[in-house]
Parts: sequence; C-alpha cells; structure tokens
Amino acid sequence: MSLLEASDIVSGYGQIEILHGVSLSVGAGEVVAIIGPNGCGKSTLMKTIFGLLEPSKGTVTYNDTDITGMPPHEIVSLGVSYVPQADNTFLSLTVEENLAMGAFLRTDGYVKQAEAVYDLFPDLKDRRQTKVAALSGGQRQMVAMARALMLEPKLLLLDEPTAGLAPVFVETVFTQIEYVNAQGIAVLMVEQNARMALEHAQRGYVLASGENRFTDDSGALLANEEVAQLYLGGTA
Amino acid sequence: MIALVVDGIILGSILSLGAVSLTLVYGIVRFANFAHGDLMAVGAYEAFFLVNTAFVALGLPDATFGPLSFGLPMVLALPIAMAVTAVVAVIVDRLVFRPMRQRRYATVMFVVGSLAVAFAIRAVIFIVWGPEFHFFTQALRPALQLPYEVRVKPDQIFILLACLTMVAGLYFFLQRAKIGRALRATADNPDLARISGINTERMMVWTWGIGAAMAATAGILLGIDAQLRPEMGWNLLLPLFAAAILGGIGNPYGALAGGMVIGIVQQVSTAFLLPTYKPAVAFVILILVLLIRPRGLFGSEQRGI
Repeated sequence: MSLLEASDIVSGYGQIEILHGVSLSVGAGEVVAIIGPNGCGKSTLMKTIFGLLEPSKGTVTYNDTDITGMPPHEIVSLGVSYVPQADNTFLSLTVEENLAMGAFLRTDGYVKQAEAVYDLFPDLKDRRQTKVAALSGGQRQMVAMARALMLEPKLLLLDEPTAGLAPVFVETVFTQIEYVNAQGIAVLMVEQNARMALEHAQRGYVLASGENRFTDDSGALLANEEVAQLYLGGTA
Repeated sequence: MIALVVDGIILGSILSLGAVSLTLVYGIVRFANFAHGDLMAVGAYEAFFLVNTAFVALGLPDATFGPLSFGLPMVLALPIAMAVTAVVAVIVDRLVFRPMRQRRYATVMFVVGSLAVAFAIRAVIFIVWGPEFHFFTQALRPALQLPYEVRVKPDQIFILLACLTMVAGLYFFLQRAKIGRALRATADNPDLARISGINTERMMVWTWGIGAAMAATAGILLGIDAQLRPEMGWNLLLPLFAAAILGGIGNPYGALAGGMVIGIVQQVSTAFLLPTYKPAVAFVILILVLLIRPRGLFGSEQRGI
C-alpha cells in the first residue's frame, strides 16, 4: 500500500481549473518525479496535496488518513514536509533560526535534529549564525530542504528544487535528494529538469494539460520514444 | 539647550516605545494601524480608572515611592492595564480584522478599518471620562538638579528606564523565545511560516497582545509625564509613524532610534519655534524621509522584523 495517494484531483485557482482529474501515488521510501511542460499543473498538484489549495473534486490520503482540504500546519504534523519553489527560506533569519522554525511543532526542541540535518548539509554547519539573505542560491536551497527535514518527515514534497540554480548546484541538489532518501524518507518532486529528475527517481508521472499522460518506472519513461521527444528534449 | 535635549530624550523614549510596538504590529499584520495611538490612550485611562477609582475604593495605600509621584497602585495598575489593553486589541482583531483577512480584503481596507477602530475607541473614552484633562496625581514633585542646569523629574528617569527595559525585553523575546522567533518568521514569510507548521492566526493574537501591551505602557508613561486627554494617543500618531518610518517601517530597532530622534528634534525645535509647531516638526521629518530615503535609516529591501 502506498504512503500518499491522490485520486482524481480536480483543482485550480478560483474559477480557473488547472487539474482535471489527476491521480498519483507515492510508496514509503520511494522517489517519484512529476514532469511535464510549463503550465501542466505540476505545482498546482503539489499545493493541492499539501493543503494550500482545496480540490473541488478528488481525495488525498496519507497513511490511510484523509487529508483532503486539511490546513498545511496539520498536514506537516502528520509527517509531510513541503519545500515551495520560491521564497522557501526565511531570509532575515539565520540558518539555525530557519531550522528552529522547521522544528516549530517539535516539543523536544530543535537542537538534536539540527545536528542530524547538519550531517546531511555540512556546508550549513559553518554558516549556522549567518542570515540566509547572505547565502548563495545553492546554499539557500540547502536551507530550504534542511528546514523541511526538521520534523523528521516520512514524505518530502519538493517543488522545482533546482529552479534558478547554477548548473554546478543542480547535481549537488540531486545528490542531496539521494542522501535524504537514504534516510528512508520518500520524496515527491516536481522538476523542469526532467531527464535528471527521472534519472534520480524510481518512478515518474508525466502530466500534460492537467491530466495524467504517462505513468511508469523512470527507466521505462526515459526509454520511451514519445516521452523523450515531447518532454525530455531529445531521443531516448 | 541641554535641558531641551534631556526633555527630548524622555519624550523620545515614550515615542520609541509607541513606535516599536507600532512597527512590530505592522511587520506581522501588514497594514498601518491607525488605532495604535488610541490603544495608548486606552491603557492610560484604564490605569487612571484603577489608580484613581478602583484602588481608592479598595482602600489600597497610596503612599508614593520616594521622590516618584506614584506608588503601589500605579505599579499594580501597569500590568493590569497592559493585560486589559492586550485583550481589547485581540478582541478588536477578532471582530474587525480577522473577518477581513478571511475575505482577503485589500490593505487599504484594513487601514480604513483601523481608522474606524481609532474613532470608536476615542468616542468611548469621551463618553466614559469626558473631554477634560485628567491627572494621575495633582501633587508636585521637585525636579532633581543635575549639572549644566539640567533639571529632570524623578518620574522622567523612571519613564526612560521603563521604556528601555520594555524595548530590551522585546528584543530578547524576538531573538531568543520560540514564539518570538516564530513572530519574526511570520513577518519574514507568512506562507513559509504556515508551511512550517506555525499557526499564523495564533501569531496574530501574540502580535496584537504584545503590541497593545507596549502601547498601553507608553500611554501610561505619557500620562505620568503630562496628563490624560482623550486625544492624547491620536495626537501622537503622526510622530509615531514618523519615528517608525524614519527607522525603517517593520524594523523595531530602527523605530527605537527613530523615536529618540523625533523626540529630541521636537523638543529642541521649541528653542526656535513656538511649541505649537512641534507636530509640524515631526511631519517635516516624515516628508523628508519619504522623499530622500523612503526605506528609513535602518530599513532594508527584504521583509522581516
């Protein structure tokens, strides 16, 4: 059985419907990538799963609990963390304070988990007292992921984790996603960088115009001629 | 001249306390609260009611502390008035601003709403206490004679210390306390705060509570230094905004400096101008800051407190 199950999601902004019935599932400990052209509804799907948008139809279940329409601060307490695409750090706070905010719901303080997270992102440890505004784009992305790991989630939702990053950092981010996954945390990511995302995922979903287009193992998607032509910018 | 500067520091410390709390509220609720001055007045009148009516009826000893003009009743009234004003502000938020937040009103509607709240508060003060001046005490206290012909009332030293203590307390709360950090996080990035599991509606309650308690303290200290009038808070609104904007709106530490600058400049200006022009001085500073450096002295491009 799967950790996260979204079925027949119809969602959008106000009157504008963007998703017309999308389904997806993530198993425990799995890395799943959602790819597709701009405007196909990838980010909308993430926001709907995390309760930032309420679907007009469909259900989201996590660990057999119906979380459809639940507010984000309750979903996060169940073990789902979300890293938005933009504005995903507290710029005026230090690295350490960002982590403390990620651990806001913990009753046992943040210090112990912060040490565990610094082990994953050693670069941040030296800069724990630095304001995030003074960090580079790559380091900020680390802070964003580190903050999301502070509640020891079972599922991490990443919206475009490599967007706007210099090419050298893109590889680093994917390596870090592997580290995170090695801790037994399932990852659901939306990526523009479709080929690399599939190379680092076990399964993938291709969305187009707010509907499921392809669903398969990553390898199979990478090998699929049509997927490669349309969405990976080349041949398989 | 030095005497005017000293007076300015006392006025400045009260303005600072008001401006720091104004800017704290602004940083979280994201609109200019025009009722802030009237929250100061509410605090002052609550303390007046406690000290000159309720505690007298209870037969509390009214002996004053040493050279100060007040005693135990005021010390008890201060925290009570802070708490009551905090509750008033939280109720106002619940009745007025929260429904507006839920309906996603434009910022200007919140500002107009706060203006309505300001009028309503002042009307209640007029109805209950009347338009005349009130004094916490009629007793005259001798001023302390300091070098350079500086005369300072013991009350004024208390006012300065009380303001600095409160602002320092707020600083440590915002930097060290878990809720304080969460307030800064909410001011910085409310969406991310929600995503992190911070209940931002509860942060609103904390903000209004702390902001109103500090405003009440500023109002009471102003009442101790001068007198109580229904328009006392409203008249301070302009200097408060001038101080907050001078320091960089949303930045409490800037507001502290801004309040001091406005207070001192206002008092020193009386050496050259009629005291009636004091509010105009604040206004001129406000306009100059907006024209020359709208971010304020310590403001930055990014959000956050």
